[in-house]
Amino acid sequence: MKALFRGILAGLLVWPWLVLADQEAAVESGVNEEVQTLKQQVLELNRDLFMLEEELLFPSNTQVSVFVSMDVGEFFQLDSVQVKLDGKEVADYLYTQRELDALIRGGVQRIHMGNLRTGEHELVAFFTGKGPRGRDYKRGATTRIQKGLGPKYVELKIVDQTKNFQPEFDIKEW
Amino acid sequence: MPKLALQFLLLWIGLAMTGSSYATSVKPQQVLDLHYGEVLFHFYQEDYFTAISQLMVARQQNLLQHHLNESDLLLGGLQLSYGMPDQAERRFDRLLDQNTDADLRNRIWYYLTKISFQRGHYRSALGKLQKIDKPDDKSIGTELAVLNANLHMALGENEVAADVLENTRAPDGWEEYLRINRGIAMLRAGNIEEGRKTLDKLGKEDADNEELRALRDRANLGLGYELLRAGDAQQAREYLNRVRLQGPFKQAALLGAGWADAEQGDYKQALTPWLALLELASYEAPVQEAHLAVPYAFAQLGDSKRAIFFYEQAIGYFDEEQQQLDAAIQGTQSGVLLSLLSQTDTGIAGGWLHDAPTLEGVPSGRYLVDVLSSHSFQEPLKDYRDLGYLQQLLNQWLENIHLYYDMVDARRLAYQQRAPLIRERLAKQQATALYQRWQDYQSLTVAQHGSGDPLDLATGKEKQQWRTLRKVQATLASLPPEPRRTNLLAKARWLQGILYWQIQSNYKTRLWDVEKQLQALEGPVTEAVSKHQQVSDALDNVKVGFDGYDRRIAAMRQRILALLPRIQASRDDASDQLQQLALKELETRRQRLASYRIQARYALARSYDLIAQQSGEQP
Repeated sequence: MKALFRGILAGLLVWPWLVLADQEAAVESGVNEEVQTLKQQVLELNRDLFMLEEELLFPSNTQVSVFVSMDVGEFFQLDSVQVKLDGKEVADYLYTQRELDALIRGGVQRIHMGNLRTGEHELVAFFTGKGPRGRDYKRGATTRIQKGLGPKYVELKIVDQTKNFQPEFDIKEW
Repeated sequence: MPKLALQFLLLWIGLAMTGSSYATSVKPQQVLDLHYGEVLFHFYQEDYFTAISQLMVARQQNLLQHHLNESDLLLGGLQLSYGMPDQAERRFDRLLDQNTDADLRNRIWYYLTKISFQRGHYRSALGKLQKIDKPDDKSIGTELAVLNANLHMALGENEVAADVLENTRAPDGWEEYLRINRGIAMLRAGNIEEGRKTLDKLGKEDADNEELRALRDRANLGLGYELLRAGDAQQAREYLNRVRLQGPFKQAALLGAGWADAEQGDYKQALTPWLALLELASYEAPVQEAHLAVPYAFAQLGDSKRAIFFYEQAIGYFDEEQQQLDAAIQGTQSGVLLSLLSQTDTGIAGGWLHDAPTLEGVPSGRYLVDVLSSHSFQEPLKDYRDLGYLQQLLNQWLENIHLYYDMVDARRLAYQQRAPLIRERLAKQQATALYQRWQDYQSLTVAQHGSGDPLDLATGKEKQQWRTLRKVQATLASLPPEPRRTNLLAKARWLQGILYWQIQSNYKTRLWDVEKQLQALEGPVTEAVSKHQQVSDALDNVKVGFDGYDRRIAAMRQRILALLPRIQASRDDASDQLQQLALKELETRRQRLASYRIQARYALARSYDLIAQQSGEQP
């Protein structure tokens, strides 16, 4: 009888270490060549379809993209960004924690992609968030952008103003 | 318990995959191309498919001029994370062949080390790891040290692994992980005392977050079991007592604590944790084993009646669990597992499954979820989910593709309506005529330098005045010669002279001014001609472009249609593989339960015999 329990015990004793011992083996299993090839082929097709769609929906002569990036201290928590072009709302985005982390690490979000005629246009952007001690922030910025023949890229960068440590928009045309 | 094992596993893999600080440069990255930043935005969210897609598009459109080398490396890393190690390895090998700088080479060797590690080529991985220069950054150094130690442990070189970890300075947040691994490596290397000290210290420390508390529990549990195996039950009990009863290792700790007491002959004390396990109404291994351990303890205490009661209870419990397992096996054979798998399609780009699926409509689902969450299922499950996402994506493209045909048709119609008007206007050759006039003026100014007739540069008004004066003179000349006519003629000649003098006196200024204006006009006039040609060419090319779009869309549609059945076939393979693995796992559990049941019945029979013997002995 005791032998049985010895056996059980021996089995249990092993498990705490197993997680380290077999980790590498499991990672490899299942990754077969066909799945890898399919992934590569779908990625290439997705790229081609994406470019086709962009050419058809947003031709370079009228294409405009608005990007959001951040360069702020850890005390500012972004909640949302709203963008208006020529008085029309084109984006109103609420951020998840995962997206915020990605922005803080240097990621850049394309918040809007659309079409504009060549010439001058008005861009208005607002962001809301929370600063130190949970204080609510809402800041806005207005700028006039010049749309030429090629694609137009506008970056809305949320930065800390060093004089008052409050976040503001820094708008850059690329 | 398997799920916990998975979580721990993912933690370690996660540390060494592309999300690590060594895979990308130290944050935050300075982004010089917006599109590179966009790729990073998805990469940091572990949305590898979208990140790779964006990166491929940006590279194709030549939008990553400032991050070209990094983007190549990032693409390889993303491929590795997305489960494309073959493509990643080829890319890294190619990058190594180029004249890459030291930093880039180090990062490439890191990735190649990871690939060899994943494939189980540990010795080769160690060789690659040694090619990486010692980094200045502490966290990168720690990451490499952990990788190094893991490789040595995988090779059974636990002493070396322990040394590596011993000599590594840990940055914030790493210290506890290094210590638990060092402790494990030492125990594995047979250095029980040092390993025990390391884990003991870790197990006693205060922990201010759940992750660290779980790590502390793990150290205490591991140490407790190790000491039980070594025969030091008293010490083992102390470590097992430290494991939190509200933590993830509660069941294993209770079982071990009972065994520590039993090993010391204190079966009464052992009953406390074991009976607590029975109250948990769980199906996990420690509870199953406690169902045997409790009557065993009563038997050892000489309480045969209670032993019989609990053996019978255990048999009932095993029977019930066996029914559940049989139902799970039957369900798996009849496709229930596939229904459960469909709950793992979350609509995002595949990847690791972080949350267990719900059990809606799945009989005996708890066993299946348990099996799915276990270690060996993760890779085929990831393949299954990745393929599901690809299938969903291509079906969406297929649904949308007729819209692209419509868009091209709409443009074709607009072209057919507008092109004739534009052609008509182009036919007027306005730009060419304008250019011709410019050329004429240009020739005139050149000729002025030779002939120098100031009247050529007279303004329109002056020319009109000149012509009027000439006409006046001609009229006066035809009148009878009277003194009044002579005076008027003289006056007209005088005025003509004044006009000529005015024109002639600033002739050089006028010539310079004209030349300047002609020079300024050259650009716009040439551009007008060029635009005229462009519009003309575009009109000819647009039609060809429409046909080109039609061909491109048709070709892509064909590619989608060719890929979909292959994806379905691979997904079927993956689900078959999962089904086989599930059946194997469930069968193992069934056999284990059957074995417990046999043991319980055997022990029950012995208990009855004992009672009968005792009854027979009594007068």
